[in-house]
Amino acid sequence: MNIVEIRNFSFSYPEQQKKALKQMNLDIEEGTLNVICGRSGCGKSTLLRQMKTVLAPHGETEGKILYKGIPLAELDHRTQSQEIGFVMQNPDNQIVTDKVWHELAFGLESLGYDSPTIRLRVAEMASYFGIHQWFYRDVKELSGGQKQLLNLAAIMAMHPSLLILDEPTSQLDPIAASDFLETVKKINRDIGTTVILTEHRLQDIIPFADHVFVMDQGELLTEGEPGEIGMELKKRQHGMFLSMPVPMQIYGAVDSDLQCPLTVSEGRIWMQKYLEEHPAGNMYSQDDNRENMHHNQETGSTKEKKKKEKPVIEVKDVWFRYEKDSPDVVRDLSFQVKKGEFYALVGGNGTGKSTTLSLLSRIRAPYRGRICLEGKDIRKFSDGELYNGYLGVLPQNPQSLFLKKTVLEDLYSVIGGKKERRSQEYPIAMQKEKAIEGIVSLTRLEGLLERHPYDLSGGEQQRLALAKVLLLRPKILLMDEPTKGMDAEYKEELGKILRKLQQHGITVFMISHDVEFVAEYADRVGLFFEGNIVTSNETRAFFAGNSFYTTAANRMARQFFPEAVTGKDVVRCLMNKN
Amino acid sequence: MNQKVNDAFSNCHPFLNFFYFTVVLLFTMFNQHPVFLAISYVSAVTYAVLLHGLKKTLKQMFLLTGPGLLVVTLLNPLFNHYGVTMLYYVEASGNWITLEALVYGLVLGAVMFIIIQWFSCYNSVMTTDKFVYLFGRVIPALSLVLSMALRFVPRFTEQLGKIRNGQKAMGRDIANGNVLKRAKHGMNILSILVTWALENAIETSDSMRSRGYGLRGRTAFSIYRYTTRDRWLTVIMTGLFAVFAVGCAGGAAYAVYDPQIELAGLTVQGRQAAVSCGTLPAIATYVAFALFCFLPVLLHAAERWALHNRKKTVGTDIGLTYRKIYEELEQERTCS
Repeated sequence: MNIVEIRNFSFSYPEQQKKALKQMNLDIEEGTLNVICGRSGCGKSTLLRQMKTVLAPHGETEGKILYKGIPLAELDHRTQSQEIGFVMQNPDNQIVTDKVWHELAFGLESLGYDSPTIRLRVAEMASYFGIHQWFYRDVKELSGGQKQLLNLAAIMAMHPSLLILDEPTSQLDPIAASDFLETVKKINRDIGTTVILTEHRLQDIIPFADHVFVMDQGELLTEGEPGEIGMELKKRQHGMFLSMPVPMQIYGAVDSDLQCPLTVSEGRIWMQKYLEEHPAGNMYSQDDNRENMHHNQETGSTKEKKKKEKPVIEVKDVWFRYEKDSPDVVRDLSFQVKKGEFYALVGGNGTGKSTTLSLLSRIRAPYRGRICLEGKDIRKFSDGELYNGYLGVLPQNPQSLFLKKTVLEDLYSVIGGKKERRSQEYPIAMQKEKAIEGIVSLTRLEGLLERHPYDLSGGEQQRLALAKVLLLRPKILLMDEPTKGMDAEYKEELGKILRKLQQHGITVFMISHDVEFVAEYADRVGLFFEGNIVTSNETRAFFAGNSFYTTAANRMARQFFPEAVTGKDVVRCLMNKN
Repeated sequence: MNQKVNDAFSNCHPFLNFFYFTVVLLFTMFNQHPVFLAISYVSAVTYAVLLHGLKKTLKQMFLLTGPGLLVVTLLNPLFNHYGVTMLYYVEASGNWITLEALVYGLVLGAVMFIIIQWFSCYNSVMTTDKFVYLFGRVIPALSLVLSMALRFVPRFTEQLGKIRNGQKAMGRDIANGNVLKRAKHGMNILSILVTWALENAIETSDSMRSRGYGLRGRTAFSIYRYTTRDRWLTVIMTGLFAVFAVGCAGGAAYAVYDPQIELAGLTVQGRQAAVSCGTLPAIATYVAFALFCFLPVLLHAAERWALHNRKKTVGTDIGLTYRKIYEELEQERTCS
């Protein structure tokens, strides 16, 4: 039986010609786990919000959506609140009250249940989700992952039969994200709740989906079981592959008639079979690897020349703690970043990565040790020197930089307004208009200049923040998880921008959870653990040396091509063989 | 504020907590009888020691409240010159320092001192969620508003920190530049914060509506339960309250310091207060008040004792049971 049926549904936002959704037709079977994927701005969120009328944006609709055979518009607020649960992106914004237990009870209070019933339901949910350990806590003490789990539990307490999740893990770190998705799977399996989900991190959820819908530009491109989708997309040579799990990407780029692999282990088996079918090339691949390594050595030697230059960032025996009596967060940290290098720092949550970044940007100061920028102690810079034309810091939350009503005004606000007047922020002779134009084309904000910063998508917001920081012409760019919540396409754009900057001698330092992004773009990578860098190496060697903390592509292909780190590497190895 | 305390009285129903503190505070505030104040003082300090530990309480006493008490005691006779017992003639102003004024100053200082002490206990016991719960009973909408406010304040503070760090890293914190620039930076930070708050509040309201906020017949859930012990305590507390309320109404708390010191139930300077309340009813009132004030401490002691006892009985009982089992097994073995 179908729990949701969408028939010839179209939707357009007010005062816009283009339809956000065009003639959608889809059925959601009861008790299944459904994944909707597509690029940012393809209408996924719009579609999801249409299934919950209180959240549906204003605009013109055509066609109908049936929930259990009843048109959704005729369903009253009470039934809808109870039966259709909706989890949004931002864990913080969804939490209403200050206590965990109160948050769990919120929906039930709205529905008017009496205290004993609420007590039972809340107790049930708390034990099912493992919340009982922090049941009495203040919400503000929870981590991001716990908050999102709480949001999910608060909705499950109302016993919905349909659960809609709109990119629920985009603000979480990888471990919390896979925990969360695990819980969603468990709900679907144990309780039989129908789940509809959109997600960037497809590798964790696609293998377990019953049904996958692929959307593009407001239309349903294709649908089916995950394996079929892979074959189908491959047949069509569609760009959507970019956001599919890595094994599927590799499969898509290589000529193979085998079943489409979904997980890393399936991918490994697939490669085994593939290589058995095409045995001839093994030797070549070895050669290719050697060539690759040779290439690496070459770049290594050019870098050795650079070694004689003074490092741009030099951190020497740095110690830091927040309070007098608290434990050390950064312990005896030393590292160097050379000019024009892209250095990435990866590692788990709460290991002190962000603290290190705040030390580098002089927001905090170490109690022991020294930080030098181009050989000069960071403490000896004046504020004007340091932050204008030297150091640019991109904070994790781009919204904490947005000041004005439009993107253009916001950009001008960084360099002291539209008036052509030299100031500390803008000492160069270039016309301001030219500078803005340049930065807009570099960060690809064309066409967005009259929009409100908050109306931009996550990736666009991130680029606007980057543009603002770059307008101060930093030599060194520090970034705190710039790829958080971004889809594959935006990441690629960001990567290109960073490459461009790097080519012109700008040093980039980034902390990140995003192993795939780091593998693709960084020059050197350091693994941060317990306040210190455990290992630091050239990107390829770094990931090839780790067995767990490495990319999915590497985990899949390491038996055959240990040097291949990104999906593209693996594809190249496989292709060269033939 | 929301310190985690685990004493017996804090675990009682919030209504009892609130009743207790209201009564104790009111009777201390509007009472100037030394016996009442002494009882109130000793119990407040004992309870504070129980909640915060001896060190912190003593520190507070000697550094904060103690000096305050001294100042009030000494200041009162300098400005007030009523009373019949002259102690010392101040030639500069031509006024007498009197015993009555000195004693009254001491009483006033003590009242202040004790109230502060009680409030320090109140803060640890009456946590915000208890407060929210109690007022939510009276006005259900208020409890949600309070709860939401308590969520917003820390969120704002956190976000403000993030925004300031972001601006600091562009050299635009309120600590950067001259006064004019600082003011401008401050305004910018505020503007960013307000925009952020408004934009994100939309999502919060979405989340509320999608969970049925605005439906008719909303209930208010609470985690507090009215247990059997709470029932007993209510009875005892009301009983004690009735006894000393009646006593006070009968004049057991009568105390006058101007022009002469007259205290109910006590003989001061050879005089007895002109009230109908005799010595015996007065003593009954004091005892009832003392029991009431010491209730949390007594409860704590009782709980400790019960915990201690339980351990002992469980140890011996189980020990005996098992020894019996082993002996039986041994007997069976020897028999076979």
